[in-house]
Amino acid sequence: MRYALRRVLGVIPILFVTWTIVFGVMQLIPGDPVNLMLAGVPASQEVRENERRRLGLDRPFLERYVTFLGRAVRGDLGESYRSRQPVTRMISEQAGSTLELAAGGLVVGLGAGLLLGMVAGLKPNTWIDTLCMLVALAGVSLPSFWIGMMLIYVFGMTLAWVPIVGSGLAALVLPSITVGLFIAGGFARLVRSSIIDAMGQDYIRTARAKGLGWAKIAFKHALRNAMIPPVTLLGIQIAVLVGGAVVTENVFARPGLGTMLVEAVLNKDLPLVQALVVYTTAAYVLVNLLVDLLYGLIDPRVQVGRA
Amino acid sequence: MGNRMRKLMWTTALALSLTPVMALAQAGDLAIVFADDSTSDVTFDPRVTQSRHEEQVIAQVFDQLVSADADNKKYPGLAKSWTMAPDNKSVVLQLRDDVTFHDGTKFDAEAVKFTFDTIVDPATGSQGAIDMIGPYEGSDILGPYEIRIRYKRPFPTAIDSFSENELSIVSPTAVKKLGGTGFAQAPVGTGPFKFVSWEKNKQIVLERNPDYKWGAPFYSTQGPSKVARIIHRFIPNAATRVAALESGEVHYTDLTPPLDMRRLGDSSKYDTMTGVASGVPFSLMFNVSRGPLQDIKVRQAFMYAVDRSRLSQNLFFGYAKAAWGPIAPSTPAYWKGVEEYYKFSRETAGKLLEEAGWKMGSGGIREKDGQPLQIYYPTLLEPETSVALQADLKRVGIDLKVENVTKAKQDELIINNQYDVGGIRWVYNDPSVLRIPFDSGNIPEPGKFKFNWMRWKSPELDKVLAAASTAASLEERTKLYADAQKMIMDAAVFMPIHDQIQTIASSKKVVGARFAPGNWQVRLYDVRPAN
Repeated sequence: MRYALRRVLGVIPILFVTWTIVFGVMQLIPGDPVNLMLAGVPASQEVRENERRRLGLDRPFLERYVTFLGRAVRGDLGESYRSRQPVTRMISEQAGSTLELAAGGLVVGLGAGLLLGMVAGLKPNTWIDTLCMLVALAGVSLPSFWIGMMLIYVFGMTLAWVPIVGSGLAALVLPSITVGLFIAGGFARLVRSSIIDAMGQDYIRTARAKGLGWAKIAFKHALRNAMIPPVTLLGIQIAVLVGGAVVTENVFARPGLGTMLVEAVLNKDLPLVQALVVYTTAAYVLVNLLVDLLYGLIDPRVQVGRA
Repeated sequence: MGNRMRKLMWTTALALSLTPVMALAQAGDLAIVFADDSTSDVTFDPRVTQSRHEEQVIAQVFDQLVSADADNKKYPGLAKSWTMAPDNKSVVLQLRDDVTFHDGTKFDAEAVKFTFDTIVDPATGSQGAIDMIGPYEGSDILGPYEIRIRYKRPFPTAIDSFSENELSIVSPTAVKKLGGTGFAQAPVGTGPFKFVSWEKNKQIVLERNPDYKWGAPFYSTQGPSKVARIIHRFIPNAATRVAALESGEVHYTDLTPPLDMRRLGDSSKYDTMTGVASGVPFSLMFNVSRGPLQDIKVRQAFMYAVDRSRLSQNLFFGYAKAAWGPIAPSTPAYWKGVEEYYKFSRETAGKLLEEAGWKMGSGGIREKDGQPLQIYYPTLLEPETSVALQADLKRVGIDLKVENVTKAKQDELIINNQYDVGGIRWVYNDPSVLRIPFDSGNIPEPGKFKFNWMRWKSPELDKVLAAASTAASLEERTKLYADAQKMIMDAAVFMPIHDQIQTIASSKKVVGARFAPGNWQVRLYDVRPAN
């Protein structure tokens, strides 16, 4: 518990540093937020001056930085330049959709990855192994916009099994497969090598000698011991997903934080970018914490927080 | 595959796919899905918006004082009749007395005054309406349904301005209750559809206004719409929009790729309609303040060298035509004379470049005083058009340097005068838009982003454009704008390339969508089942 608390408190300096960097970088990159917001429409000078005053962009850099930090400390991350809505509300509105897709992708990725990796790892250097690793390779290397469009073409249009852009659980199927295949690819490769490794260990020979069944050896002894590296990788991938899957969101017309971040950066919508940084930093720390705690569950010999 | 397995798969698939279908069926009435390519909508307050995508929703929820059809012909709207003062400095409007806002507020002269007064209030943060409302001075309420709108200077196009989406009348009660940002998220108007909900970046749901009986006479529907619900679905990926149309999930797609337009138009299941947007076509502005483009002969040669008709045909399959003047043919006061300028002729281009002293060098690029004829074009819009231009220009010995840049980078280059050519396009319903790129006062300077990217100062043109904007009569206005278009073409500072088009594809199950003036937004009030 103390360990978890320490990890969570560790977020504060991380946030301070990232915010300062984001604030600085956003000043350095070219472009004026008012122009970007007006997106090239022929608006008059009057409109531009109004907006500049409204956003406080007429004030000096340092003053804006201090104001921003002061507000952030009080938990007020401000309003989006473009939408004039509180950024925390904007993020919470989009987070649901992103978490849905992350969860869907995780189910597919974990399921398919585990299956492919286990099968390949238990039958190494056979044609089954080659086939599984080929599928895994395809999952990692094929671009998600292509996979997404193919899934739309086959399952959305030709077979018409699932909606392409609808709502509800059915509409989550194709996007989940799209991101899930990517996760499955990397996951399967690590599971395979860890399993091969584990199967060569002494305790497996002991288990065999005890006359244990195949399934019990594979799942209880080999898999559990082989899980630490794949779980670490999975943690990183989930953290990335929780930050949004831009391309998949675009192909399936899903709202989400990935799209939101890209647009916020392109529009130089500073308050929104900063709030998204807070959110993603928190998500990374949280997922990493969970992964660390999971180590202890997988392998009781690992004890976190007690060096 | 085993029989049981197959059965299981089918049942699962069926159960999954039925969910949305049932949701539609339960409405019992016609629900249509309109697929829009945007995801970046932020406000549906007509007083604030500057986005053609946001206006697509606004056009369904709000009415205007004067109603205009796609051909820009004016009809009574919320105003039954109007009288312009002889000096064009005020208008008296007789308003309808039988109109209510969606929140139950009665529509009256107060609402009109409130809307117009708040547009010019800087606190509203208007980005579009404030430029369309003209030299607004104030409003006098003459009776509950009679109002006089006053202007600081003559404003002969006041009636046209009343038909713009941006000058739609908003419910004062709702604005006061929700505040500006709240109203932007839950707009209340008098239009044929009421706002229901908005899932950000996903969809907006509108439902029929059952009390609607004040639609303009040009619609075939009178009274409430035949459409019970509109689901305005954001689908930014064009291929996905088309796939959703073909799978039957949506009824309309906007900005449909031209290749799909042709295929869908040829099939028996889909209709297509193409609108030539009014405003400024996709065009290049030549920076006359630096480099080879300072010489008018080089600018003329640039225009002669490009086969704009073939370029449009190749890129848009005939859906967008070549453009010849600074405003599109669908814009009021378009001057047909522009069509005689700079018709494709490689010979003329070569001759002009020779006269300007640019001799063909090695490698097919012309040179003068040892300098190659290079023109730098930072490209933000339509990279494919840049490449086509590059190919045509190369054939006369001009080296067009194309670099794809972000909007932020483009703005930086423009402000610091580090470009030779800039590309633009605007949807705008009035020739007065010409002042924004052509006024001498609008040359960009450090810290001030403005639109005269030609950096061209013409006091004569300034005078004509200023006179046109305050012209006392429409005839005089048309004449002055014709002069302006001629001056622009003669100076060879601006190269129109192709019309902007709005390409709509729709399921044949529904009919009746029509373009709003400007040919961009689609009005869905008149939509009904095909049979």
